Amino acid sequence: MASTRTLHVRCATWEQVEVFHTRKLRRGKLLSMKVPFRADPGSEVTLNLELPNQVVIVVEGVVLKASSIEADARAKADAGKTWLEVELVGFTDEVIARIRRMAAGGDPAEEVFPSPPSAPRTRTTGTLLALSGEDLPADERALFQQLTAELRRLRSVAVHEVLGVDRDADADQIRIGWMNLVRRHHPDLVARRNAPAITHLAEEITILVNRAYDRLRVALVAEGRAASVGPALTPPPGWLVGFEDISSTGSIKSAKVAQTLQNGGNAPQVEPLPPPRPSSAPEGGEAFELRARAMLSDGDAANAQEVLAAALCVYPRSRPLRSLYYVASAISALAKGEVMLATSQLETALAHHEHCTEAAEILELLRRPNAPPASDEMTRLFR
Amino acid sequence: MTAGDGARGTRDSSARGNPRGATEARARPRGGQAVGIDLGTSNSVVAVIDKDGAPRILTTPEGSTTMPSLVWFSPDGPVVGELARAGLDYSPDLTIFGAKRLLGRRFDHPEIRRLSRVLPFELVEAPNGDTWIALSAGRSVSPEEVCALILREIRHIAEDHYGEPVTRAVITIPAWYDAAQRQATKDAAQIAGLTVVRLLSEPTAASLGHGAHRGADRRYLVCDLGGGTFDVAAVDVQAGIFEVLATTGDAFLGGDDVDRAVVDNLIRDVRSARGFDITSDTIAVERLRLAAQNTKHELSDVAVSKVYVPELVQLPSGRAVEYQKPMRRDELEQWSSSLIRRIEAPIREALRRCGRKREDIEEVLLVGGMTRMPVVRREIARVTGREPHVIPNPEEVVAVGAALEVARLEGAIEGVLLIDVAARGLAVSLGGDCEQVIAQSSVVPTREHRVFGTRHDDQLRIEFDVWEGESPDPAQNRLLSRYAVLDLPPAPAGDVLVLVEMTIDTDGTVRLGASELVSGERLQLEQLYHAGLARTDVLRLQRQFAETP
Repeated sequence: MASTRTLHVRCATWEQVEVFHTRKLRRGKLLSMKVPFRADPGSEVTLNLELPNQVVIVVEGVVLKASSIEADARAKADAGKTWLEVELVGFTDEVIARIRRMAAGGDPAEEVFPSPPSAPRTRTTGTLLALSGEDLPADERALFQQLTAELRRLRSVAVHEVLGVDRDADADQIRIGWMNLVRRHHPDLVARRNAPAITHLAEEITILVNRAYDRLRVALVAEGRAASVGPALTPPPGWLVGFEDISSTGSIKSAKVAQTLQNGGNAPQVEPLPPPRPSSAPEGGEAFELRARAMLSDGDAANAQEVLAAALCVYPRSRPLRSLYYVASAISALAKGEVMLATSQLETALAHHEHCTEAAEILELLRRPNAPPASDEMTRLFR
Repeated sequence: MTAGDGARGTRDSSARGNPRGATEARARPRGGQAVGIDLGTSNSVVAVIDKDGAPRILTTPEGSTTMPSLVWFSPDGPVVGELARAGLDYSPDLTIFGAKRLLGRRFDHPEIRRLSRVLPFELVEAPNGDTWIALSAGRSVSPEEVCALILREIRHIAEDHYGEPVTRAVITIPAWYDAAQRQATKDAAQIAGLTVVRLLSEPTAASLGHGAHRGADRRYLVCDLGGGTFDVAAVDVQAGIFEVLATTGDAFLGGDDVDRAVVDNLIRDVRSARGFDITSDTIAVERLRLAAQNTKHELSDVAVSKVYVPELVQLPSGRAVEYQKPMRRDELEQWSSSLIRRIEAPIREALRRCGRKREDIEEVLLVGGMTRMPVVRREIARVTGREPHVIPNPEEVVAVGAALEVARLEGAIEGVLLIDVAARGLAVSLGGDCEQVIAQSSVVPTREHRVFGTRHDDQLRIEFDVWEGESPDPAQNRLLSRYAVLDLPPAPAGDVLVLVEMTIDTDGTVRLGASELVSGERLQLEQLYHAGLARTDVLRLQRQFAETP
């Protein structure tokens, strides 16, 4: 091999990073990928893993298997491509820990390379975007570049930033923010003057803006901060999170189990990344959590439970929110003297999130002989 | 990422950089003329914007502003519009009316079942489950072709007006049309040689045609009761922005149904007064229907009128039997009362969906010929709690709105923006329950995605269905299409993750794209089933229509 080949993987959201790590990689190290070049087993490749915060992590790898894909009639597009299995030797625990720190909001470590603005991307953003604006007249080219930059920016920011409003913006601010953007970018407004490429960009931007608006208005209603914003919308399950897989989760789990059994149970434990923050509203879930904790510290478990139930509609995959919900539910049960129910709720809380210290401590209190936990003992935990 | 699968959607082809689509889009300002068309169940209207900016309704060769949506497959070829009325007399089984109600409908739909029993022409099931119309000698036509004949006639009217080719149109559709019906409308237009620049929902068109963008900011409720369909939409107009908050309707409620209710009563009257049963005599029933329709129109202005059929049936002796019966407005209202009662539910549902009380509505607009009936006005006033605003030309206002939309899209009207929401949600299934992907009332254009994993080692394809509707139960939803993701790389189960993205564009049409999740590589999607005509059929018919003037 003349030179080391580089693979590019871009994850737009932390959700995708988690999917990449826990599901795409087998045994935490093996990556299967279709590539447009030939490679020999044993040769070295590098993987550029681009994270949502624009940081690119370079991971060394070795090709384990390579099989070229035959060009049959059905798959002309794949002619000359190779199916690679790469062992990512450089995907060490330190690297994972670093990603985890970044996912948790920490600063990127020094040794990572900031992404150059013109970094090649494997995930193109649409066929027309892949075209450059070169065949456009000068004035349209400027617009094309401006819209491309705008689209790229909007793709990488949280929903409230898409609309240019504060994280705790109210219904009117959200509507005004959305309306202003739609007035500027709606494809109808550019279609009459400009090339299809520009109309397409305008449509892509409008899609992002509309999605952000729909998510924010649903979140507002779920948080109980507005009765309704625009036409009533019932979000599908997992709607506010980037990826919600359907009908496949079970089979993947069983496949993993089967794999573990085949390896005599010695397969390395795949340790999941920290619970990803929801892709579209990175910190929205924390607002719910804070409110619920405040209520719990006031001894108002019933209302905290309501808030958390609403929050879970919005952030169904948030483990802290889910475990806290079970804790609140346990406290309500204890208030009614239902110790058995409370215990099972607390155990469920721990099953969802093992670092849920409150659940562990209340369980501890429950195990204390002949002294059921007093309510002030529990409210203290949340202060 | 999504550029569509190419099988559906005309906007799609230009977005993919398809050379033909691209030139069309570029040449737009200098291409053929564009018109606004209200393709109605019983009547169609075409409007243009004059050079001075005023909307103008074009008249048919017979001098009428509305053209009956009628096609008579006469022995000498299809006859469209006013002239096709003759067909109602001679061969009702070959004279198609209300084709719009059949457009994009499955044959097993209960309402189609009901219609097939009462319509004078025969409905048959197409191989893909759609509803087609059987003509004589084993020939059948799709509703798309029938609508295309009407649209082509409209195109000719517009070309006579302009003296140059007309190639593009804004076509209005009921707001509750599903994606299959929208696509069928686009297909019909394509067959007729028209590119649809926008499908505009009728209530929005009505409020635009009413001039809402020029007046004060208002919260409108538009009630459109036409020949075949009832539409309700809550539309907010604020500083030139039309925002559709909720759309509901009844797909099978309209003037035709009132006519049928009246005819049923008249048939009973014929039986008791004259002693013969004309139920199976399609020609007599059709004549009775036309007479009843006339009387219905008269009764909107006067309290008493009469039904008169000069020649209802011919006796074996050759003598013609005349039929006439005085009819009062209250009789008409009594006979149609079960239909009038169905007005309430869609209005309540529309208010519920936009989270409004009826007091929040600031103006009720009445559109469609049926709103001329006093009992309809009374009922709407009762349900909404306010006196509705009567538009002087309820039959034409939708076409005017469509023409204004043409002007707006071409930049002749500045500062007006129409914002619509998805009338229905989109769901996918892998053989089991449906999982919601795009929620009802999402603002369009919008896009959502789902990730599918392989279930077996070395699985080469994943098949999934796309549904329209909100229910997890597939039986409650409408199957739009079945897709297969092809040529997956061989890998252990669950290793290949496919990202499927669904986009609803500003027209409300759906397009799909698939890619491998991690590499971002585009995957090929094959459409195994879809409602409506196949693309090749549309192109074949388009050529055929272009050849036969």
